[in-house]
Amino acid sequence: MASPQMRVRSDTPDLTGRNRRSALRLLGMERSDEIFPVLLEEIVALGHPRALVTRVDFETSEITPIASLNYPKNLVQRYRSSLFAVETPQVRILHSQEPEFVAGRGKKSSGTYYYPLIYRNRTACWEAERARGRKCVAVENFHCRLKLQLQEQVCGICDMRAYSAMVITEVAPGTTPAEIGELRALIELANRYLSRLFKVEHYHNRMVDMETIITQMQTVMESMTDPVILTDPQHRVITQNKAAERYFRLPEDVSEGRVRAVELNNLLFSAALSSMAVSGNDSSRDMTLVDAIEGDEVLFEAVSAPSFAPDGRRTGMVSVLRDVTDLRRADEELRANYEKLRQAEEVVRQDRDRLNLVIENVGDPIVVCDRDAKVALLDPRAQELLGSEKTRTPLHIRNQAILDAYITQFTYSFSDRESAPIQLTSPETGLDVEYDARSGKIYDERGLVAYTVTVLRDLTAVRRLEQMKLERRMLEMEKFAAAGRLAGTIAHEVNNPMEAIKNCIFLLTDQMKPEAGPVYDILKAETERVARIVRQMLGLYRNTEQVGNFDVNSVVEDTLLLFARQLDRAGVHVKKELSVLPPALGSADQIRQVLSNLVVNAKDSMSGGGILALRTRLIRAPGLRDMIRIVVADSGSGISEHVLDTMFEPFMTTKGERGTGLGLWIVKGIIENHGGKLRVRSRVGKGTVFAIELPAAQ
Amino acid sequence: MKSKSHILVVDDEPNVLVTYRLILQQQGYAVSAALSSEEARKALSREDIDLLLCDLSLEKQENGFDVIDFARKKDPHMPAVLLTGYATQEANDHAGELGIPVLFKPIDIKELLETISGLLSVGREL
Repeated sequence: MASPQMRVRSDTPDLTGRNRRSALRLLGMERSDEIFPVLLEEIVALGHPRALVTRVDFETSEITPIASLNYPKNLVQRYRSSLFAVETPQVRILHSQEPEFVAGRGKKSSGTYYYPLIYRNRTACWEAERARGRKCVAVENFHCRLKLQLQEQVCGICDMRAYSAMVITEVAPGTTPAEIGELRALIELANRYLSRLFKVEHYHNRMVDMETIITQMQTVMESMTDPVILTDPQHRVITQNKAAERYFRLPEDVSEGRVRAVELNNLLFSAALSSMAVSGNDSSRDMTLVDAIEGDEVLFEAVSAPSFAPDGRRTGMVSVLRDVTDLRRADEELRANYEKLRQAEEVVRQDRDRLNLVIENVGDPIVVCDRDAKVALLDPRAQELLGSEKTRTPLHIRNQAILDAYITQFTYSFSDRESAPIQLTSPETGLDVEYDARSGKIYDERGLVAYTVTVLRDLTAVRRLEQMKLERRMLEMEKFAAAGRLAGTIAHEVNNPMEAIKNCIFLLTDQMKPEAGPVYDILKAETERVARIVRQMLGLYRNTEQVGNFDVNSVVEDTLLLFARQLDRAGVHVKKELSVLPPALGSADQIRQVLSNLVVNAKDSMSGGGILALRTRLIRAPGLRDMIRIVVADSGSGISEHVLDTMFEPFMTTKGERGTGLGLWIVKGIIENHGGKLRVRSRVGKGTVFAIELPAAQ
Repeated sequence: MKSKSHILVVDDEPNVLVTYRLILQQQGYAVSAALSSEEARKALSREDIDLLLCDLSLEKQENGFDVIDFARKKDPHMPAVLLTGYATQEANDHAGELGIPVLFKPIDIKELLETISGLLSVGREL
């Protein structure tokens, strides 16, 4: 701050005698409004009859008399005027700011001396000085540079509003110029004192204003629920609001825990301030403080801004702490949710990629359509079939039309899934290709169809395989039939000689010499064996007719009834599990022959008794013909592996003289002739299971 | 009342025919034998036959039914048995309609004899 000594000036006029007394009187005045009455008294004391002072109100531009001596009231009012009434000497002189003597018209007065006063100083005030080089209104006025207008009479630096006044003195007759000079010096002196008092009063007003502002600011601070703290450059607390005291002020009822909490908070806060001060400008950081009353940990976000004096000095920091516990918690939750979402999205993305990979590698054309049966997605294979916008040929369009018709019908149908044969044309080869179209629906959350997915399975290979199988079976059947016919023919030819031999043996009964008995027995036994073979071969030839629908269960029952006594005698227990079946298509006689063969084989394999199970069941598979399964299972001796390989070949027998070796060959032939399947599983010592499948009648 | 039932055996195989005749004679029947349908018809016209034992397939596209038809023109209740190595379904059905048992070769002789005596006993009751 500038010291008063530096402002001493030596150009003050040398005051002597009377003037000195007047100067001291004026100097004794401590308020600006005391100056003018004293000045008027001193003017009259100089010998002038009367004097008055008018003042300019800058807000209304009015000129009002404020003090007068020896003037009658009505005369005083004549000096009431306005800044715009420039034709009057008073206003003209106010504007020119040049003192002027106006000679009187009457004899009573020699003239009037107008002396304009305005707030002015030879040197700038402290504030102006501190602001360096900026214009102080007092100095400007001193040099008469400003117009007498409101906006110009306010100091740009200290905000002080200047005053303007006029001292009007009726001069005594015969006044000398020296005496005018004396008057002038007196008024000038008074104005100088007046300017100083004005400045002081201005400071006083400002101080009052500032106090008001400080009070207001404090109210604002206190009314904030967030802690607000002002600190000095050493981070010492200058002031803080109540909310801050809760955390940073040592309470009066000192409990150790609270003291520790407050100390810790202070430590944390000044550490944060230091680091923020180092890091630079405005900054914010999170800080966990302990509520000294509740003992809870509260997360704050501290926003600190440095405060500066007008000259740019740093005066400390203003910190506002915002309780962000809930905010941070919400933020964390949001982050966690976002992370979850991101992970879910990642899973979905991977699923989609995987699915795309699957679709690309299925190798069958895939068509995805929307709810209106419009194509939404095609895999490359489907693209080949249906073409793209640019490369579309009539074949592509035809394929599209066929597929459209199918998908539209499916989309609006009530079924979730559907499969249908579709014939499309390969645009590459121009050949017809048979597809099995399998479709499914994808529903949205309202249960409406969102998409349909159709996979076209190329049946060419399947059909070719089926054709090959069929041809092979036909060939096998042909072979079997030919073999059967040959066997039948041979049997027929052998039959008559056999008949004669057999009859001869019958005729020789009891006519042989006793020693020929064994020979006769061999002859008889072997002949009977040949007869059995011939009979079976003829049976094959014979049983080719009577094809129609028949009930498998009745055939099973018949067969079991036929062998009931034999089985019982062999100690075989029979288990029957017969399901309800549709009729089978074929020859009941032939199936009876098959079952008879299997039952006899089973019985023969259980020399010590056992269990024979016969089960029938309907087998259904979507898209395939219904089949009737007949299972003949025994707990007998089983079949060794090398026999399993050859057992269906003709003349393979394990029964020695009792077997013909034709039974299973015939069984297989009959089943294959019926378009059925025959499978056998066996384990030596455990038993054998024959499973037959026959097509059901449609 | 005759002491012996008279059976006519018809078969185109001479050895088969001979052995049947021997067996039936052994069983105490009077037996005539014919190698062809023509011989059979002659025998049927000439002799008084109680039962016809006839092979289904004979020579010259003829068959046992022709012989049986011929016999039944004379005696509508003439019992008959058909012997065959192989019979079509039609033949089987036709025999069933006419009430004629069909025996398949190789024939079980016991079964044959039981069938014959059964038919003859029924015939005698009529």
